[in-house]
Amino acid sequence: MMRIRTVFLAATATLALAAATPALAETLIIAAPAVPEGFDGDALRPGTQNVVPQVYENLTRYGRKTDEDGREMLDPATIEGNLAESWTVSDDGKRYVFKLREGVMSPYGNELTADDVVWSWEKSFDQKRTGNFIANVSNVESVEKVSTYEVAFNLSAPSSIFLNALTLYVPGIYDTTEVKTHATADDPWALEWMQDHTAGFGAYTLDQVRPDEMAVFTANPNYFRDPPYFDRVLYREVPSAASRATLLLSGQVQWIDRPDIGQIVQLMDDERIKVMDAPGQAMMAAWMNPNFKPFDDKRVRQALNYAVDRQEIIDSVLRGYGDVAKSVVPLFVDGYDPSAFHYDYDPEKAKALLAEAGYPDGFEVELLYSDLWWWLEPFVIQLSGQLADVGVTAKPVRITGSDMRSRSAPAVRDMPFFTFESGPIVLDPGYTLYLLAHSKGVSNRGDYENAEFDALVEKAIATLDRDERLEYVKQAQAIWMDDAPWVVAAYPRTFEAMAPTISGWVFHPDNHERWYDLKSSK
Amino acid sequence: MKIRRFLTRRLTFIIPLLVGIVFFTFMLVRLGGQDPVEMLAGPTATQGQIDRIEQELGLDQPLLTQFGIYLMNVAQGDLGKSWISTRPVLDDILARLPVTLELLFLGIGLGALVGIPAGMRGAAHPNGWFDQIARAISLLGFSIPTYWLGLVLLFVFFYLLGWAPPGIGRISMMVIPPPTVTGSYLVDSIIAGDWEATRSALGHLVLPVVSIAIISAAPIIKQTRAIAVEIYSGDAVRYAKACGLPDRQVRKIVMRNATVPILTFVGTEITGLVGTASLIEFVFAWGGLGQYGLNAIVNGDFAAVQGYVLALALFSVVVFLVVDLLVVLLEPRNVDAT
Repeated sequence: MMRIRTVFLAATATLALAAATPALAETLIIAAPAVPEGFDGDALRPGTQNVVPQVYENLTRYGRKTDEDGREMLDPATIEGNLAESWTVSDDGKRYVFKLREGVMSPYGNELTADDVVWSWEKSFDQKRTGNFIANVSNVESVEKVSTYEVAFNLSAPSSIFLNALTLYVPGIYDTTEVKTHATADDPWALEWMQDHTAGFGAYTLDQVRPDEMAVFTANPNYFRDPPYFDRVLYREVPSAASRATLLLSGQVQWIDRPDIGQIVQLMDDERIKVMDAPGQAMMAAWMNPNFKPFDDKRVRQALNYAVDRQEIIDSVLRGYGDVAKSVVPLFVDGYDPSAFHYDYDPEKAKALLAEAGYPDGFEVELLYSDLWWWLEPFVIQLSGQLADVGVTAKPVRITGSDMRSRSAPAVRDMPFFTFESGPIVLDPGYTLYLLAHSKGVSNRGDYENAEFDALVEKAIATLDRDERLEYVKQAQAIWMDDAPWVVAAYPRTFEAMAPTISGWVFHPDNHERWYDLKSSK
Repeated sequence: MKIRRFLTRRLTFIIPLLVGIVFFTFMLVRLGGQDPVEMLAGPTATQGQIDRIEQELGLDQPLLTQFGIYLMNVAQGDLGKSWISTRPVLDDILARLPVTLELLFLGIGLGALVGIPAGMRGAAHPNGWFDQIARAISLLGFSIPTYWLGLVLLFVFFYLLGWAPPGIGRISMMVIPPPTVTGSYLVDSIIAGDWEATRSALGHLVLPVVSIAIISAAPIIKQTRAIAVEIYSGDAVRYAKACGLPDRQVRKIVMRNATVPILTFVGTEITGLVGTASLIEFVFAWGGLGQYGLNAIVNGDFAAVQGYVLALALFSVVVFLVVDLLVVLLEPRNVDAT
């Protein structure tokens, strides 16, 4: 009798315990080249950029739409409020007042207020790095608190990219109630504490970090939107690309950061891995500096553009995963206009133009490249092969990555013919045109200069009316394409490799997935 | 007395040697081409910001001045701060040293455990079947690139057969590491009595240690064999055989005579295999000094690279010193000759 009762009680207790046991946390395991050594978007270290967007969210975000395949993607034409609920713009376009969402809490239990926004922007201004650049490029002069939940941005001039800039992860918005407790007189912005801690209002927060091993992120229990699928993300350092691929193939990890593109094409047919691609925003092109002969002659630049068989380059270098580049503005950016592109593959026309410019037998030039990105070398080899057919001997010359970077600095820019991987992180045509082709653009490495173009771009950036802006942008693209400062080739697609059970990836222009979007179908 | 004199003489050479090594590393790393300033400044930096960062890092001073400052700091025990992790390099290195040492010594230990007897046996019956096989395996070990070997072992034993754990570090991600005493998960988990951690650490050690063992066994087999063959054809053995001593006794004599040269050789091997160990660490995401050093080199983290090389140099010096000391203790006759 006693026996049976004991067994019965034990069984009941076990069942009760089992029922009371909480469900196991959903964990996403990511294999990446390196654990980030810092979590401050303004003090970039290797790996920082991958994780900061998960932790720090901003006032606005891009809207979403579904493409014809039913896949969810960003809609660069719509900007919606994120941490901000709504905003007003003054008539002259120089003052924005944001009304913050109330009740937005950080993992530390502190509420988002205007003080947080002001402090965060002042930190970026003071550090004079990426955050400051973004502020300058969007004409932000100052940020001030209006009331507990209202914050005002004062611009030096109207800016059409200001709202876009607010979608970026930097300047990040910090939970200053928490951060300030770690600030000292020597370290007023608590930068030291930010080496291995985070305090944001985003979907995830840093739980712990073991250098060279892994960083553990947990979902923000107080996140203002619906909770994400994954409660925990283990960001594991696996330096060898081959090892990362093996781990993904064997199901030990569900996502790899920085998949080795050479492997991607092979892995694409493997059922154990899901490879997703999206249009890229960095163009594969060869830049010609008009300050050096023979590239000072527009006909020569156009001739080289006629000499290129773009589809062949896409097929051989990118194994078909690319789109023909028809504008310096990437395909999916609102305002992309391919109508000015007229350089079909026409070697005869190329030779004719060269002869007209005074080079009937072609010419010799060095084509510089580096190892900074995987397709630079194969592209250069293909391109020089095609150019040889019209009499232009482009000798591929490899230089170091740091050499390439220092020679493209604004004060130097001494490379007549070179290739570089460069793409805008703000999905705005005005921003793109300014960055890459305005005479003062930071990434205008080929020193292209056209006053009419500059004027149009400046007007586009200052105009808030979308139709007017798109008209300026269209004219600017036409001028640029006619001037042909680049031998335009293709936009290589970007890839992410993940386990087949993972879904929900939405491409973001900063090339970092958002863990919030991801789900698993186990 | 003799030993003290011997030690003092040795130590006087070490300081200039280390200074020389640090000098070369210092210059190479700065002239080598990896520029950390660009990386730290980010893609949107202006020239002014780049200059400011250069100034913060002290890179705008003339090279020799920079070196002088660095040397003075090192003499006081300050190896500088890593620009990537912003932690003192000394701390970074000390934290990772036991991890790498564990791998290195276990690997070479296994390699020597297998290689020395193999070489000795091969020398005892030269050109016999055992000798042929041992030499063939040794040749294989010489020819196989480390990186490739590590990846292949991982692929075969983890991916295909499922026998080994994934190459994802020193311990399973689901296991909580033991509290740090020595820095080696294996030793620490035994000390803590945590058998789950011990099993996990041991399991994760197998493949990397075997990789290093295979690579290190090759030269050990070859050299042991060469040393032993020479002794076998030498006076001592000839006399022993003439006296009619049994084979086992002869082998003991050979072993005794071979100890010193083999020891010296293994010492050299240890220092030579640090590079191999670094690659193995890379493949298995081990998180030790080698991975740290490789990361530092790739990212142009000057202070960390210098600290890494200095640590390796110091390690080599210590190994050589220990080996020499052991040799002196085993064969006091040699002291005057050195």
